[in-house]
Amino acid sequence: MSDGRAVERPSVVIYRHPGASPAVLHEVCAGAEEEGVPTRVEPVGDTDGRDAPALAHPAALDSRLEVGVGIDAGGVIAVHHAKLPPAAPAHVTSPTAGPPDWRRAGQVAARIVTGLPIAP
Amino acid sequence: MRLVVGVDVGNTTTEACLARVGPEGAVAYLGTALMRTTGVKGTPENADGAVAAVRAVLARVGPVTDQLHAVLLNEATPVISGLAMETITETIITESTMIGHNPATPGGVGLGVGVTVPIGELLGDRRGVEGSLIVVVPHGWDFDDVAATLNAAVRDGVDVVAAVLAGDDAVLVTNRLEKPIPVVDEVAAVEKVPMGMLAAVEVAAPGRTIRTLSNSYGLATVFALDPAQTRQVSPVARALTGNRSAVVIRTPTGDVTDRLIPAGVLELRGAGRTLRVEVDAGADEIMATVSRVAPLDDVHGEPGTHVGGMLAQVRDTMTDVTGQPASEIAIHDVLAVDTIVPAEVRGGLAGEVAQEHAVALAAMVSTDRSRMQAVADLVADRLGTSAGVGGVEGAMAVRGALTTPGVDRPVAVIDLGGGSTDAALLTASGETTAVHVAGAGELVTKLIDSELALDNREVAESVKRHPLGKVESFFHLRHEDGTVEFVDEPLPPHVFARVVVMTPEGLVPVPTRHSLDAVRRVRREAKRRVFCVNAVRALRQVAPQGNLRALDFVVLLGGSALDFEIPDMIADALAPHGIVCGTGNIHGSEGPRNAVASGLVDAYAEESA
Repeated sequence: MSDGRAVERPSVVIYRHPGASPAVLHEVCAGAEEEGVPTRVEPVGDTDGRDAPALAHPAALDSRLEVGVGIDAGGVIAVHHAKLPPAAPAHVTSPTAGPPDWRRAGQVAARIVTGLPIAP
Repeated sequence: MRLVVGVDVGNTTTEACLARVGPEGAVAYLGTALMRTTGVKGTPENADGAVAAVRAVLARVGPVTDQLHAVLLNEATPVISGLAMETITETIITESTMIGHNPATPGGVGLGVGVTVPIGELLGDRRGVEGSLIVVVPHGWDFDDVAATLNAAVRDGVDVVAAVLAGDDAVLVTNRLEKPIPVVDEVAAVEKVPMGMLAAVEVAAPGRTIRTLSNSYGLATVFALDPAQTRQVSPVARALTGNRSAVVIRTPTGDVTDRLIPAGVLELRGAGRTLRVEVDAGADEIMATVSRVAPLDDVHGEPGTHVGGMLAQVRDTMTDVTGQPASEIAIHDVLAVDTIVPAEVRGGLAGEVAQEHAVALAAMVSTDRSRMQAVADLVADRLGTSAGVGGVEGAMAVRGALTTPGVDRPVAVIDLGGGSTDAALLTASGETTAVHVAGAGELVTKLIDSELALDNREVAESVKRHPLGKVESFFHLRHEDGTVEFVDEPLPPHVFARVVVMTPEGLVPVPTRHSLDAVRRVRREAKRRVFCVNAVRALRQVAPQGNLRALDFVVLLGGSALDFEIPDMIADALAPHGIVCGTGNIHGSEGPRNAVASGLVDAYAEESA
């Protein structure tokens, strides 16, 4: 590359608030890995007040695969695609979601990349 | 100058055609209307629908009810049809010997042969653990713990050759293993896997299918089987064909059987003889027997079978409708179609599905006891006008079909309905013959529903009626002919990457794992096996000496003639017989609708001229 930077590996980018439980991130990454899609995790500042969809959209813009995941302070997960309107994420978990739902969110992100159905 | 309305009471719709008839019999068509038929065709309940259709057509041309001269109804006999499906094969796994399912993401590649052992045995001192092992992991194990346990065991010299998991984490586990092994996951009933038994696990590379466990001799090699045992396991190999992953466990008495279910006997009476045919002999055999007793007088099914029940029900419905005793009601036609029904395997551990054979049967009963005059009296009463029976359905349909541009006598019509397919012929000398045969749109819907395992009549109906597409991204979809369409508004996530039906109301996802091509093939095959087969069958019955070459023009009518592909498929099927075939266009403007109603008006005009 002419700018000398290493070409980054294509991956789903995860913007995660440090306040969210590590278990949430663990399951999201596992969900994507089971589908064979790499992830890259970017922590945001702990004063960042954006909700999950507002984190997911810039994450998608940051991803070479155009798919991003946002995990907000409350542990809510949103999955977004760079071409979707910022206010309309592809998938959002409910605040009462448990580990299987967190795993599914990671699976949904991977399936948007691989072009497999994301509906249950 | 007289205003007349022709009314065609059909099985599902009642159509009206309003016309002004001049003194010399000149006809000016003023408008048409279409309503749902009330009650069973040919019964007094039809009056409501007929009156509604007349009012609707009059409303289009202004308040002229008082000038209405006559309402003309068709002479229609009740036709009642029924459908039944009889599954004739069944795959049963006894004592859990086979797991042949397709989890979306199995892990690793290759074949592992060893003895089944629960993962708990690998913890602690591992007493009694020796030889090649296939590790079975129950629910509740985290993938990190599974991988760590397997790695520790392998480091200590334990020969782990494969794993079977309850959860969906085969890839996660294999990614963390130091020694790669094949892993099958999503085995829901993993607790039923017998322990301490010789087993084999095979996972194929992405895009491939298993080679060893789907091959009878591969199984014989793996399990050192003699020829008699190999014969016994061959249904296992067959059941696993086409899978990407599989597990086979050899238990002393376990077995997979391919059982033929007794589906009962059909008793066909006609041409002075009575023939019996087993339903499980298949559609070809049933239809060959039907043709040997043509013309069919009556059919009986064995009580206690689906087919027997359906035939009895059709008879009962007709008894209720006409008041005729059941003994006088005869089934005049049946259509049998072979079909494949995906069914969950009994005794399976992971929701395995086997393709079972089934026979679908449509039956039809008609009677000559029409009560159309009663309908006409009711209509006359309600509208305060004269009403009468203006002509017989088949004859009126061909007369209406003649108003299609480019059609001449002799002409045959095929009315592609919901319950029956009807044909009528008008010869050059003006004689008409008409037949009804069993099997039409509803059977097509049923075949699509069961072959795709949709279990939803509405979705099946929509798959039948509209072309398919595949959503390829949030912004574009590919139609079934390969053309790509971009959309401005992002497509909703619930249709993402799905096979969808392109309905006028929007995209409807088809709940199936089949590809677009597979769904399309099922849809077209269902239409071909019902409508193309019936078009030929019905035309043979009206054509002179059953010779299709003696026909010149064939006009397709009825709701299914509006289908986007059925008319083309029938035209293709008839092309070898040198027939001009196409969808009707009544009056050059109405399409395949309104033929009978228009024919009634024309017949009236001819008489009054």
